[in-house]
Amino acid sequence: MSEAIAQMADLSRTGTAVPLDRGSSLRDENTAKLGMWIFLGSWAMLFAGLFFTYGAIREATARWPPAGLPRLPLGLPALNTLALLASSALLQLGLSRTRRGERAALAVFGAFSLGLIFLSLQLVVWTQVWKSGMTVTGGPYPSVFYGLTAFHALHVLVGLAALFVLWIGCASGRIGAARHLALSLWTLYWHFVGAVWLIIFASVYLA
Amino acid sequence: MDLQPIHPEPKSFLRRYVFSLDHKVIAKQFLWAGLLFLLFGGTLAMMIRWQWAYPMKPVPILGPLLLSKTGGAITPALYPAIFTMHGLIMIFFAITPILIGAFGNYTIPLMIGARDMAFPTLNMLSFWTFLVSQGLMIAAFFQKMGAAAAGWTTYPPLSDSVGTPGWGQTLAVLAIFVTGVSTIMGGINYVTTVIRFRAPGMTYMRMPLTVWGLWLTSILNILFVPVLGSGGLLLLLDRLFGTQFFIAGASAVNGGGDPLVFQHLFWIFGHPEVYILILPAWGILCDLLSFFARKPAYFYKGSVYAMVAVTLLSAVVYGHHMYVTGMSPLLGKGFMTFTVMISVPAEILFVNWLLTITKGSIRLEPPMLFALGTVFVFGLGGLTGLFLAIMSMDLYLHDTMFVVGHFHLTMASASFLASLAGIYFWYPKMFGREMNKTLGYAHFWLSTVFITLVFTGQLVAGYSGQQRRLFEPYQYQFLHHLLGVNQWTSYFAFALYFTQILFVYNFVASMFLGEKAAENPWQVGTLDWATPSPPPHHNFDVVPLVLRGPHELSDPEVIRSLGRDWIGQAEALPDERPVAEPARAAEGGRA
Repeated sequence: MSEAIAQMADLSRTGTAVPLDRGSSLRDENTAKLGMWIFLGSWAMLFAGLFFTYGAIREATARWPPAGLPRLPLGLPALNTLALLASSALLQLGLSRTRRGERAALAVFGAFSLGLIFLSLQLVVWTQVWKSGMTVTGGPYPSVFYGLTAFHALHVLVGLAALFVLWIGCASGRIGAARHLALSLWTLYWHFVGAVWLIIFASVYLA
Repeated sequence: MDLQPIHPEPKSFLRRYVFSLDHKVIAKQFLWAGLLFLLFGGTLAMMIRWQWAYPMKPVPILGPLLLSKTGGAITPALYPAIFTMHGLIMIFFAITPILIGAFGNYTIPLMIGARDMAFPTLNMLSFWTFLVSQGLMIAAFFQKMGAAAAGWTTYPPLSDSVGTPGWGQTLAVLAIFVTGVSTIMGGINYVTTVIRFRAPGMTYMRMPLTVWGLWLTSILNILFVPVLGSGGLLLLLDRLFGTQFFIAGASAVNGGGDPLVFQHLFWIFGHPEVYILILPAWGILCDLLSFFARKPAYFYKGSVYAMVAVTLLSAVVYGHHMYVTGMSPLLGKGFMTFTVMISVPAEILFVNWLLTITKGSIRLEPPMLFALGTVFVFGLGGLTGLFLAIMSMDLYLHDTMFVVGHFHLTMASASFLASLAGIYFWYPKMFGREMNKTLGYAHFWLSTVFITLVFTGQLVAGYSGQQRRLFEPYQYQFLHHLLGVNQWTSYFAFALYFTQILFVYNFVASMFLGEKAAENPWQVGTLDWATPSPPPHHNFDVVPLVLRGPHELSDPEVIRSLGRDWIGQAEALPDERPVAEPARAAEGGRA
């Protein structure tokens, strides 16, 4: 999306093409943000479908977790929740620092690292649960656990790749007060990923 | 003047015609991809019709080529794959790209006075993602255990790894997921473009109804395609990793998944989907009927609000697909009420169409004929829908050929004929050439007559009790007497299929042999006809300042001062001061 804006040029009444700086215009930025909101709204419907399925299956089951299956660990996932929230907050800080023209590389790197920690801890949780005897094929309870967390982790992975590129951009000065559209769009995405995690944590682990 | 960003004109062949950012080129790419798959899906339909007319006899022409192992006949194992792939291909890979991909891309920026979509790169990605999904669909045919065979609705347990083992079904589900992603990309683009890129003065209530239809469709797409995505995703997990979301299990021990949940997810998407496929057709109809009756569209705002009402209601009627799943009758009544309610805005539209053409100076050009044909088949389809909406009636008709006839009249025939109306209408703009009118007339009459006969034939068979999807209906005593009806239906279907040769020839040959098209051959006022045919890369040299609505036809003042019965949306009368609406004019210019 941001690439598209980079390639935009302005064909004004004279009919000549004047290349635009990326994200230099408020109008383009608002358009891109609107597009991102629409995308996130749409993608939220996908997760809504997943949670709907979870709710429907769980509602039809007498005991949850079903007999013979272990309870999910709570400590590490709680820590993970904090990591992802802190990561979101740091990225927001990075964005507002960038807007003010201050250095933001450290904040973005912090957000990236916390995201990486989240994914590593998630890996530990999966291993623990797997070793306790709950495999993917063990019925709907493990299906919900592995399915939802893995699909979410995929989104974290995409976000991490983006944060890494953004960190390099911030460090090299390519992203700054005049040009930060990509950063603000990915910040929205990262908040979305965090919000989805909150719902997963509350509904899969806690409830 | 609202300045709008646009990518510079590409110089290389690849950037110009293959990886193009230009909405007009992407529209043509979608059109070609959709038309090819329409032919493909149509061929599959002919094989089904052959089987119903001459059960287990060798299929002529195709049989020796594709089915040499069985002596050219369709086997019981192959048969479900044929109707499944026919349905999936027609809905997701033929109608969707033509109505939404091609017309959406082509008309939205031109009709609202924009230089391109809001996100040109995303637009390009949307097409290439779509092409990947088409590739996956083709690949499904070449799998060892055959193509997808669980019906287009893909219900588990039929669609799980026990019901339809092998990669064919998996690839088809994956293809639907991928094409969904493509649709969402397109939807984001269309919705954003309409909100942000309307030319100054192009208020919502001055937008052509084509754009309204496409815009509302896109809103439904971005809301409900992801729900199908979630169902497809979980189905893939079930098939590939052994999860049990949709596999009913021993619930006493460790709980059970629920196949019915998939049906909910599917129809939460699936019912809006039928409106996704018909709203663009309605929009095109509203505009074309007005243009060719040389009258403003009757009750324009009513049509807009009716389409909005349908859009809203379409989200709460999906349960009528599931009356016989053991749904609580109370819940069923609720869905029934909403379903019957949704026919009210549809009726408003229908009455608006009829009143638009009443006392008009009708020009029976091919696009107008196809528009009228669409009104006719949609009317038939809509009326048969009322039978199915009523629970007590649906108990009898559910899963019969009556349902098949009903949704083929609405979703298939109406969308097909409206697509043709659109193609005949915008062809001069798209390709800069005129299509042959005589061939167009012949194509219209044959297509409309045969398509009506084919699907009313299905209604009759269904009302007589023939279930859908039967391999050999006549093995049941009580369906014996339907062989004649089915054979005649098949003859009409073959005739319909071969009629399309007229269109294929006309479509391709006119690109080279057709007369050069004028800028505005239909003499209408919307902005797409205020640029050369075909339009330059940047659409408009000057972004137009819109002064009036899209259907200013036969206005006495215009006739008096200009000497013709139409005026452009951005064309000022000699004594008119061109001022856009104050609110929009202030917003113009770059911040």
